[in-house]
Amino acid sequence: MSNYRPLLLLARIIPLLLAAALLACSSPQPPQLQQATLLPSPKPVAAFNLINAKGEPFTLENLKGHWTFAFFGYTHCPDVCPTALGMLGQVMHKLKDSDHLDNLPQVVFVSVDPQRDTPEVLARYVTYFYPDFIGVSGDPAEILSLTRQLGILYMRTAGGGDNDYLIDHSAAIILFDPDGRFHALFNVPHDPDKIASDFLLIKAYYEATR
Amino acid sequence: MKPLLSALLLTLLTPLAGADTGLVVDRAWVREAPPGASMMAAYLVISNPGNSDATLVAVDSPAFARVMLHKSETVDGVARMVHLDSLLIPAHGSVTLEPGSYHLMMPAPQTRLREGDQVKFLLHFADNSSVAVTADVRKKP
Repeated sequence: MSNYRPLLLLARIIPLLLAAALLACSSPQPPQLQQATLLPSPKPVAAFNLINAKGEPFTLENLKGHWTFAFFGYTHCPDVCPTALGMLGQVMHKLKDSDHLDNLPQVVFVSVDPQRDTPEVLARYVTYFYPDFIGVSGDPAEILSLTRQLGILYMRTAGGGDNDYLIDHSAAIILFDPDGRFHALFNVPHDPDKIASDFLLIKAYYEATR
Repeated sequence: MKPLLSALLLTLLTPLAGADTGLVVDRAWVREAPPGASMMAAYLVISNPGNSDATLVAVDSPAFARVMLHKSETVDGVARMVHLDSLLIPAHGSVTLEPGSYHLMMPAPQTRLREGDQVKFLLHFADNSSVAVTADVRKKP
């Protein structure tokens, strides 16, 4: 019986060694993410023409060259939007504090309420959460041309009057990669620690597989 | 005149605060409104140690023209706000008003409330009792 022991041990170790060898040779594995949903393959985004809070064009070109978190909402929203933007502010502070980040992602708040969210309103609103946040809105048709590529939904609901309506809107945060492609999304509930660490994993995997 | 009247009302009603029901309202805070925001939200916890259910039917505050009871909910990824006429606090239970869920919604006052300010709310229940609470204005929970 005791003669078989080394053989048994070998039988157990060989598959492990094989697996390790296979892992080392193959391409990097997709990261294990806590909150993000990666698209099976990043989705190119068709051109769109929005306006930033300074009144300048904000287009597909503005997504290129850096990672971008985007959230879609409106400034009259008292609960969900300030919660999400405050959370993204925390994500930015965490990423800024992490050593291995030379190029911080940009954060874009897209207002789906251009009727009330003028560039002036947006400028003061978004920078409250983080000085570099970018406020963007524009022509309703242009907003729709971007949102429908991302599966972002929004619809006006009844309010007290013409200027007193609420808007139901997708709560997901979209992540664009530096090629301007729709790369991943973060569904609620949003946790700044998980989003920051998922982002670093997604970025590392993207860089390792280019 | 109006603040005076509100103050008078508060003084008159405060002694009634939860006297019979034993309802406790605490951890109240108001999210500081970002500049330009027209709507604000407040959060708190209502505990009901009593033997019978309690129903919150209205809230008012000398700091706001209106206080509405709302719930944010996300269904199939879409966040929406639902207006509530009342909120049940079960016997021996509690209800938490918190970001992304139940909250009070108020139109932002002319003078912007800032972190460090305090705001009073008066919660009215179906049994005609009222509970007063003071909320701190803060930037985050």
